[in-house]
Amino acid sequence: MIDRLVAETLSRENISKTLLKLSRNLETLASKVDLILASQKRAIPVRAVDEKTVEKEIPSEALDVMTLLSLPDHLRKTAVTICKLGRATAADVAKETGRARAAESNYLNQLVTMKHIQRERKGKKVYFYLAK
Amino acid sequence: MRFVGKIVTIHSSRGGTGKSLISVNTAAVLANRGKNVCLLDLDFRAPTMYVVFKLSTEYWLNNFLDRDCEIENVLYDLTQRYDTKGKFFVGLADPSMLAIREMSMKDRKWEMKALQRLLSLRKLFEERKIDYIIFDTSPGIQYASVNAVVSSDTVVVVTTMDALDIQGTRSMIEDLYEAFGKKTGILLNKVLLPYSVPSLSPLTEVDRESLSKQLKETFGIPIFGTIPCYCDVLRTSRTVILAFQNPEHPFTKDIGKFVEVLEEA
Repeated sequence: MIDRLVAETLSRENISKTLLKLSRNLETLASKVDLILASQKRAIPVRAVDEKTVEKEIPSEALDVMTLLSLPDHLRKTAVTICKLGRATAADVAKETGRARAAESNYLNQLVTMKHIQRERKGKKVYFYLAK
Repeated sequence: MRFVGKIVTIHSSRGGTGKSLISVNTAAVLANRGKNVCLLDLDFRAPTMYVVFKLSTEYWLNNFLDRDCEIENVLYDLTQRYDTKGKFFVGLADPSMLAIREMSMKDRKWEMKALQRLLSLRKLFEERKIDYIIFDTSPGIQYASVNAVVSSDTVVVVTTMDALDIQGTRSMIEDLYEAFGKKTGILLNKVLLPYSVPSLSPLTEVDRESLSKQLKETFGIPIFGTIPCYCDVLRTSRTVILAFQNPEHPFTKDIGKFVEVLEEA
């Protein structure tokens, strides 16, 4: 019984797995396009006024679990870590994820651009946090 | 030295797989073995723990997630009631229709804050020396369940041999558990013929190993345990906790074996 069940499930699964992969790739592409568009939109005001002021004015997008699921894998890991830590520097996040600080800094800034998290500079350190 | 506990989410793709029964008995076995356990009912759509433990309370887990109270206000200490070796706490979901309706209408921002509340539960490891927090969840991809998955260290997916259950479990492994990089294992429950007729011929170790091997290949993740369909367990009242009231029952023994695997995971 289990052999037949497994065989049927596997054949159906192969098709849905391929479709799923395609869908994921499209989602990744879409998020990258969004990222480029968002950074282009932000480019003008950021140069014109104080960066800190601009960031505070950006309305935040809720970083709920369904949003987390829609993020590409590399950003999701960073976003979950920020959810866990609440407020952290790129070095704090890197310590949790085991990835390079520079990579985390890049991912965190992408999440800021996507308005999922916010950024604040305190002296030499830059803190990333979820919007209140 | 920092105290390290473990958060375990008991989840499934569909309803009726036996999640709540397994959650309660797993918590009970752990507490009986001297572990400090905290069992939380995160099944806000169909709460059951208030029936199992015959409790009513001023504060529910709903209030904790709403930030109306702290987790200490929600937890019931049942250590003395069940005379467990370790501490045994439970936190209940509000079963009132109003609360169920309210929970289903929460927006994304609320769910984001609810996730942070669940993540904050790790403080219990230090504050109350809790070894295990066990989340009993709603089936499928519900906000509360996904929040539980994200907050946990290990996910146990309970499935039956039903084709839809297997299909759903496979999808969730790829779309949910792997997406969040969670340590995940399958607990196969209510195993029927040809693998067992419990009253006639018990599920042998050979059957279990063969079944586990096939399922491991199907799912691509470890099999944490195999529990046959015990007719008397299905007939037993919800208020009976076999791990406390019948430690010699084969179901309790199976949960015991599962707990050993879980501790190693």
